[in-house]
Amino acid sequence: MTAAGVAPLARRNPTAKAAVLLVVSLGVILLDAPAPLLALWLLALAVARWAAGIGWRRLLLAQLPFLLFAIGVVSVNALTRPGAPLLDAPVHLSAEGTVLGLAFALRGFVIGTASLAFLASTPPRELMTSLVQHARLSPRYAAALLAGHRMLEATPERWATIRAAQTVRAPLDRRGRPRFGLAGFGRTAFALLVVSIRSSERIALALESRGLGDGPRTVWHPVPLTRADALLAAAVALAVAAVVAACALTLGWHAV
Amino acid sequence: MRRLALRDIVLLVMLGVVFGFLYWALVQAWNGLAIAMGPAGDLAQHVLLGGWLLVAPIAIAIIRRPFVGILAEVIASVIEVVFLGSPAGPTLLIAATLQGLGSELPFALTRYRRFGWWVYALSGVLGALLVFFYSAFRFGWFGQEILLLRLGMQLVSGLVLGGLLAKVIVDALRRTGVLDEFAIGRADAALGGPRRVG
Repeated sequence: MTAAGVAPLARRNPTAKAAVLLVVSLGVILLDAPAPLLALWLLALAVARWAAGIGWRRLLLAQLPFLLFAIGVVSVNALTRPGAPLLDAPVHLSAEGTVLGLAFALRGFVIGTASLAFLASTPPRELMTSLVQHARLSPRYAAALLAGHRMLEATPERWATIRAAQTVRAPLDRRGRPRFGLAGFGRTAFALLVVSIRSSERIALALESRGLGDGPRTVWHPVPLTRADALLAAAVALAVAAVVAACALTLGWHAV
Repeated sequence: MRRLALRDIVLLVMLGVVFGFLYWALVQAWNGLAIAMGPAGDLAQHVLLGGWLLVAPIAIAIIRRPFVGILAEVIASVIEVVFLGSPAGPTLLIAATLQGLGSELPFALTRYRRFGWWVYALSGVLGALLVFFYSAFRFGWFGQEILLLRLGMQLVSGLVLGGLLAKVIVDALRRTGVLDEFAIGRADAALGGPRRVG
C-alpha cells in the first residue's frame, strides 16, 4: 500500500468521489459572495490535510497557482467594474468590483483544493476500473487512457531526446550555446507529435493483441462501492448546505 | 453508428497527452509573464485561448467521424485534470465539451467531407465563441467594461491558433506519412497522394 492508501479518503470509491467533486464544483460556481466561499475553502483544506493525508508543505505549495489566478482576477475586477470608489487616485478602484473579484478568486481556491484532495487520494488505475464498473465507461477507452497515462510519464524524456538531437545542428549564440527560441519550441513540439502518433499505432496494436479491442471483460482487482460512499456524498452535501445556510442566516441572503 | 476503432481511440488519447504536455510547458512559462504584467495578465491570457481548441479540428481532420472533436476535447481535459492536476478542476470538462461542439459544427455541416481553410477558420471562431459565454459566466466577465475587448481577443485567437494553425499542423503531419493508416491517409490515397490538399 502506498501512503495514499492509508488516508480515509483513499478508501472511498473513485466514481463516487469524482461525482461529489463535480457537483461541488458546479455548486460553487453559483456562489458569488466571499464569506461562504472562504468557509468552504477552509473546509476543503481540512479535507485535503486530514482526509486525503496531504502534508502541509505540499498543500501550501499547491495553493500557489490559485494565488496567481487570484491576484489577476481581483485586480481586474476592481479596475474594470463600476461601483463606489474604494480608491479614486491614481486609479479608480471599485468596492463592488473588489468584493466580486475576491469571490471569483476564492472559487478557484475551493475547486482547486477539492480537486487536489481527490487526485491525491485516487490512483489512476482505480479511477478507470471504477469508471468501467460503476459509470459504464467502455473498457476500450479506459485501457487507452491508462496507456496515455504511461505515455505522459514518458513524454518529458521523449522531449529531451528530440531536443538533444536538434541541439546538434542548432545555430549558436555569441557565447557558443545553442539558440532555440519560439521556432525551436515549435520544431521540437512537431517532432514530438509525429513520434507520439507513431507510437500510438503500436500501442493500439499491442492492446488489440491482448483482446482489448472487443467483447465483454472481467476486471482484475474490482473496486468496491459501499454504503460508506453514499454516506460520504451525503456528508459533503450536508456540510456545503450548512455553510451556505449559516452565511445566509447571519449575513443575509445577499451574502451568498 | 459504427464505433471507433481502438487505433482511433488511442490516437485521441495521444493527442490529448501531447497537447496536454505542451500546454503545461507553455503555462509554466506564461505564469511568470502573467505576474510581471499584473492586471493586464488576466487580459493577455486571451491571446493564447485558441491553442486550447487545436485538438478538436486536428482529430476531426485525421479520423473524419462524427463526435470525434467533442471526444478529443473531453479526453484532453480528463488528461489535464486527472493526470496533470490542472487547477481548473472538473469544471474544465464543461468548457471542453463546449469547445469541442463549437469546433466540430463547421466540419459536421460539410458532413466531414471538406477540409479547406474556410472550414478550419470557422471551426476556430465557433469553438472560441461557444465557450466564451460559459467563461464569461464562470469568471464573471459580464458587467465588466472590457467584455467586448475580451470577446474580440478570444475570437481572433480562436481563428488563428485554434483554426488556421490546425490546418498547418494537419498538412505537415500528412506529409510525414505518419497518418497513412488513418481515414485522412486513406482519403489521400484515393485521391492519389498527400500533396493534393483540398
